Formats: sequence, C-alpha cells, structure tokens
Amino acid sequence: MSVKIGDVLPNAVLTYIPYNAQNPDACGLPQQLKTHEAFKGKKVVLFAVPGAFTPTCSEEHMPGYVEQVGELKSKGADIVACVASNDQFVMHAWGNSYKVKDDILMLSDANSELGSALGLVNDGTARRMGPIRLARFAMIIDDLKVIYIGVETAPGVTVSGASAVLAKL
Amino acid sequence: MTVKTGDVLPNAVLTYIPYDAQNPDACGLPQQLKTHEAFKGKKVVLFAVPGAFTPTCSEAHMPEYVERIGELKSKGADIVACVASNDQFVMHAWGNSYKVKDDILMLSDANGEFGSALGLVNDGTSRRMGPIRLARFAMIIDDLKVIYVGVESAPGVTVSGAAAVLAKL
Repeated sequence: MSVKIGDVLPNAVLTYIPYNAQNPDACGLPQQLKTHEAFKGKKVVLFAVPGAFTPTCSEEHMPGYVEQVGELKSKGADIVACVASNDQFVMHAWGNSYKVKDDILMLSDANSELGSALGLVNDGTARRMGPIRLARFAMIIDDLKVIYIGVETAPGVTVSGASAVLAKL
Repeated sequence: MTVKTGDVLPNAVLTYIPYDAQNPDACGLPQQLKTHEAFKGKKVVLFAVPGAFTPTCSEAHMPEYVERIGELKSKGADIVACVASNDQFVMHAWGNSYKVKDDILMLSDANGEFGSALGLVNDGTSRRMGPIRLARFAMIIDDLKVIYVGVESAPGVTVSGAAAVLAKL
C-alpha cells in the first residue's frame, strides 16, 4: 500500500552531508535528518530518484529541480530535498556536481527506511542495481501531511518533475 | 568462509561503464564483465572499497592507486580494477572525478554477488549505509588464481593499498 494524499509522512531517519560554504569539496561529517523533526511546520518539496548519477536522473529529473529551485521557494517551499537509496557520500558528490550548495538537501535513504514506509521502494537486483532502489516520485508535504504525490509508472519524468510540482504549489 | 591465496577467483558478473575517450562525461551504456572471461590468462590487481566518494576511500585508498597505476602495470599487472557495491553509474562518476580514463576499471558489484562469493561483504544497515558493502581489500589474481589477498581489519589502508600490492607483484 503506497502513500497517498492526506497521509502523514512517515517518520524516518535519513542521512546527509551538509553543504560547507568554506570548503565545498571537503567530505564533511554525515548528519541525520529525522523527517518529523526537520519537516515539522514546513512546506517541503521532496523528490526521489532511483539512483544518483544515472542517466534519466542526471539528465532529466535533477536538472529541472536545479533550474527551478528559486521558483519553488518563491511559491512557498521552505525546503527542497532530493532522496535516493545511495549513501550520503554519493548524494553529496552528486549534488556538488550540480553545485546545488544548500539550495537542495541531498538526502540518503540507504536502508530504505523512508522508501519502505512509503511503499515506494523496488528491488533492483534483476538489473544488477542492488536490492534497494526508490521509485521516481515527488511529493509536497505541508506540516508533515502529504498534499501532493506523483509517482512515475514508466521511464521518464512527468508527475515527479519540478514543473508538475510547481503547478501544485 | 573467506577467500584465500590459492583459491580460484569466483566467477561473477560485475557491471561498468566503459571509458569514452571522445566524451568522458557522457553517461555511457553499462556493460557486463564476467570475471572468468575478462581475467582469464591475465594478471589482475583488484582492490575493493566499501564506498565510492566516502572519506577513507577517496582520500587514502583510491588516490594511491591512481598515482601508482603506471608502476603496477610495469610490474606486470595487465588490468587494475576497483570494485564496490555502488552501481556502475556511481563508479563511473567516481572514476571520472580522478580522471582514471581506462587506466583503472571501475566495477560495480551492486548485488554483492562477487563479495558474497569471496566472503568479503558486510551489512552496513546499522550505519545507515545499506545492506551491501564490500570489505576493504586488494587481491592479485593470476590467470584466475588468487595469489595475494590483503583484507583490512581496521579503518585505514595497509595491506589493501597500492604499495602493499606493488611489493607483491
């Protein structure tokens, strides 16, 4: 049973490496982000990709958000975050490759704690991509309540893209 | 049961994205590498890291191989390869960050197929690093027979480093 509008976002612990303005390429210390703490009282745009550095993600999904992050924030998003099952070091490096700085939080759900709770995790073993891959989706979460959810059912970026989310903010 | 000197290397399918000299930043098509096919009749230096882009790996383990690749090859290594449980897209991006070109094959064991057969895979779940992480090790394989294996038992790079391998070639 996967997450739907009206649900409360699961409380999960994600990890990330905070942006270091002094030394952006440094491998900083990982931090934990507890969704119920970090997102309480905020409007959050959260998009998920099956994999950092993979073709669709890097060439279609992420760039849309990088380009439109300013608009998302001016339309009310307090936080824009990207999550994948890659670990926080990979997410940090991927974010750096787009120079996201602290505009987009690059979150890791390496144990698929959030993905499983959402019902949006797949097994990539058959494609030699390991047992944990998040689906491609985007959500708008308002004070921990899911007010928009768009899950891709085919390759490509439609309901999970920045434009689709902007239209719903 | 962990692999030891004298064992035949397990036959496993790893994945990688070949280096494209024309367009190094392109996200190329993944290929499969079957260890028994690719390594037959060759002397291979294979080192494994728990994670691409992670601190010890990026700052201590990988750089030494990148610096000493010429020496490894002139001492008889036909192939120098790096393997981790990250997928091939992440491995490709990580290799690019060191400009390894085709000097070091960046291999993915995302399903832990190879690591499991070697007895050198760990569960990173308690550290929120996902269920499949390879140990840190290096091997010299001669015509599919393991003639050297050095597995780190503590953080840091000793028996799995380029210097240790060079001494055994």
